[in-house]
Amino acid sequence: MNGSTTTTALLAVIQLIGFVVFAPFLAATIKRTKAGLQSRRGPGLLQPYRDLIKWWGKKPLESSASGPVARYAPAFVLGTIVTAALLVPWATSRTPLLGWGDLLVVVGLFAAARFALALAALDSGSAFGGMGSSRDVAISALAEPGLVLALAGAAIAAGSSDLGAISAFGIGQGIGLLGPAHLLAAAAFAIVVAAESGHYPVDNPDTHLELTMIHEGMLLEASGRSLATLIFASELKLAVLAAIFAAVFLPFGAATELAPLPIAFGLVAGMIKMLIVGQGLAFVDASIAKVRILELPDLLGLASLLALAGLAVQVLLP
Amino acid sequence: MIVTPDGAVAAGLLPLLWAAAVASLVLAAALALVPRLSLLSPILSTVGGACALALGCGLLTTGSSLAATGGNVLGMAALSVRYDGLSGAFLIAFGLSAAAAALSVVGEQPRSRPEGAAFPLFLGSILLVLGANTGFSFLLAWESMALLSAFLVVGLRPTRAVVSAGNVYLAMTHVATAAILIAFAILAAGSGGQLDFAAWHAAVPNLTPVTRDVVLVLVAVGFTTKAGAIPFHSWLPRAHPVAPSHVSAVMSGAMIKTGIYGLIRLIVDVMGGSPDWLSLAILGIGAISAVMGVLYAVMQHDIKRLLAYHSIENIGIILIGLGSSLLLQAHGATELAALALAAAIFHSINHAAFKSLLFIGAGAVIHATGLHDLNRLGGLGRKMPVTMLTFGIGAAAISGLPPLNGFASEWLTFQGLFGAAGSVAVEPLARFAAAATIGALALTTALAVACFVKATGVTFLGLPRSAAAAAAHETTIPARAAMGFLAALCVGLGLAAGPVAGALTTVARSTLRVGGTPAARVAAVASGPGSGEAATYAALALGLLMLAAIAVVAIFSHSRTRARRVDTWTCGIAPKPAFQYTATSYSKPIRLFFRRVLVPEREVRVEYHPGTAFPSSISYRSEITLLLEDRVLKPVHQLSLRGANFARKLQGGAIQLYVAYIVIAVLALLLWAR
Repeated sequence: MNGSTTTTALLAVIQLIGFVVFAPFLAATIKRTKAGLQSRRGPGLLQPYRDLIKWWGKKPLESSASGPVARYAPAFVLGTIVTAALLVPWATSRTPLLGWGDLLVVVGLFAAARFALALAALDSGSAFGGMGSSRDVAISALAEPGLVLALAGAAIAAGSSDLGAISAFGIGQGIGLLGPAHLLAAAAFAIVVAAESGHYPVDNPDTHLELTMIHEGMLLEASGRSLATLIFASELKLAVLAAIFAAVFLPFGAATELAPLPIAFGLVAGMIKMLIVGQGLAFVDASIAKVRILELPDLLGLASLLALAGLAVQVLLP
Repeated sequence: MIVTPDGAVAAGLLPLLWAAAVASLVLAAALALVPRLSLLSPILSTVGGACALALGCGLLTTGSSLAATGGNVLGMAALSVRYDGLSGAFLIAFGLSAAAAALSVVGEQPRSRPEGAAFPLFLGSILLVLGANTGFSFLLAWESMALLSAFLVVGLRPTRAVVSAGNVYLAMTHVATAAILIAFAILAAGSGGQLDFAAWHAAVPNLTPVTRDVVLVLVAVGFTTKAGAIPFHSWLPRAHPVAPSHVSAVMSGAMIKTGIYGLIRLIVDVMGGSPDWLSLAILGIGAISAVMGVLYAVMQHDIKRLLAYHSIENIGIILIGLGSSLLLQAHGATELAALALAAAIFHSINHAAFKSLLFIGAGAVIHATGLHDLNRLGGLGRKMPVTMLTFGIGAAAISGLPPLNGFASEWLTFQGLFGAAGSVAVEPLARFAAAATIGALALTTALAVACFVKATGVTFLGLPRSAAAAAAHETTIPARAAMGFLAALCVGLGLAAGPVAGALTTVARSTLRVGGTPAARVAAVASGPGSGEAATYAALALGLLMLAAIAVVAIFSHSRTRARRVDTWTCGIAPKPAFQYTATSYSKPIRLFFRRVLVPEREVRVEYHPGTAFPSSISYRSEITLLLEDRVLKPVHQLSLRGANFARKLQGGAIQLYVAYIVIAVLALLLWAR
């Protein structure tokens, strides 16, 4: 199932186009469901695309205090997350860029994007930028152990931290995959996805009240194409996280052989799995209150503990 | 002095490089004392460092070794060195750090002439430590290194605070030396009075298990103290802020690595491995040092103390690699053990590159503004673009971000832990410990991102928070060259991580005495894509792809119209520098999240205009409690002071008393020997 360089290039192009087209749609479905649960109609499913096009055409404003960091950070953030998007299985159980990087590389690329964005938020000398930036890096620091530990369980079971190898191993296990260790890790990862993508109960993706913003606070000084790039990058990051969840914890349906029909089936199956993850986020968004920022260590610590419990089950019980 | 290469013919140049390194360092020390020529001294030190770097690369690529013996010191024993691959790897860390640090002070006057001479001698002592192959040579070089570095920290005209920092450093470093000395004495006794490391290795099977454990513990305590791991770390954050920046760069980049080198040389090479309890202790010390080091670092707003705490963190990461390697080796997972040991060595080299860079950058900032305090900096990027760019690269590298060098070695360290947690040969509880350490390492890297966004952003971005910061200027051309060299290394070692990790794995295999050809299906850092089964990090390919993706997005999203310049949004009032987040406010969420560990205290003092409710001044002070120092180190410190007081009473100074001691001792001996 290794295939040639041409296959790798072809799969990479398909996946790139797939993510670019699908990511805003995923964000739209989340907004739509959330609105429905709150008895509103909500924006149409094409609204994220319209927003991006609108910002793309706007005349840009730049803070007189900021410099090259704020100017080039959006391209860095999006470029990094696009790279990560090619290291995650979607249609097939292998990653499009076969053997280029494993789950740690994806986590590292996310960290690089966060580094650039958090730095850019400090460039304009805005209090709100500092607020968002300092909260974002702190929350990510709490989420990171849960993120890596949840995936580590699957990696140890599969004997490799390559996301493709993990996915293929999971498919091979069949229904037997869904043991206690797997479910604990999945629960941990779900909490982390909410935190990393700026959703409830950690952050409110729709707020524009300065004092409560986390991710949005960092984008306050961005405008025009920079804003469009950053918003699109965050939509893409959510889709990539959902794809990782799908590939590691619900690997079924992905193509295990490189033929057009299974790949097409895998594409659709992957899309449905990502939409399910998105619906879960929307449901949480609409149904619970945001956790006080001081209590976040409890919530995200829970994610790490769940993941550790999963590992304990896996390692200590033969 | 005789120099004999005992390797391949291709290695014929290596003795020359070694002789050149020694000669230029000695000459540098001599020239530093000559009034007219003292400015040449840093140039020669740079040459010495560069020769050591070239020697290290040569030893690594040719796989040969280099030995030299000569000189009877005080009629006691001969000085003897033998540089092998392991020495070579650490010579690279030493050489790049030393060359850059010396280059950064070219053209500048040292604090005093003796200090100018002590610096190249200090570099020379590290060079000897890394090659010494007898207990005597090692301890001689080791002690010279400790004393010279203490002198460089304190200087000729110290203030009271500096003397106190120097005393703590001297005390800790001598605890380390004492432990190592005792271990060496036991090893020498066990091998029939020989001093050679090779003879000690041969005699290890003859040692009783208890003796072996005692030696291992002493060695571990001695060398982790030098490395600055928690709980033996308290000298590091005291010594660095008061030392000159180029001295800090070498101390942090190279000197503390001699502790790591000593651990590997003694535990892996001489003792041939360690029992599980010690491997797990090293793993645990590594995890605690990594997490607590970075947590304390985030809390600092003195730029050099922040970097000093990061050294503790990085030593922790290196010890995690070493601990998992020892654990894996004891259970026959040799390929994974070699991978984890290579990770530890690679991270040592990488840390030398980015930490030296960051210390030189911090020195440039302090030089330009006279300020150590991040809370009074800001906006320096406009005045110091080269420093900002290079410091930023160093910050990204130390935060473990791809495609830079720090990521590659941390990736390997993670793989070592995955291997230890997944090896069925290892005890289940040890496997779980390795799995838990994965979480600790993930937390560490994420906190490092937080810390370096803070350090870089608050220093270089935004608006200046003080007049001194507003009046900053770019640093000297040699210092810029030194930082540029190190930043290029951070990128280069990152992109070339495949071949570098390959060479270091070879070194690790020979240090672990693994025979045969490498087995397949072990995770690896490579240049290009792997098979997709075993985890691969294709450093070069991925790095280039990432850069290409960023470039494409940058060109595509480049706005055709020029951006209109407007004030930063501050809810309608004119922006002021005081509105910005400071270093202290930036770390507040983390201070609150980890309040049970950091135990922060704060004090807000408000003074009012008399008779009104309008405040005239508000002062804010916030401090964290160093739980380890207060609860663990202070009691130990007090106990040892009490012991010293008691010992002083024994030494009354009266000759009769000493005669009485001798009589009692002789009587006791006679009774015992009866």
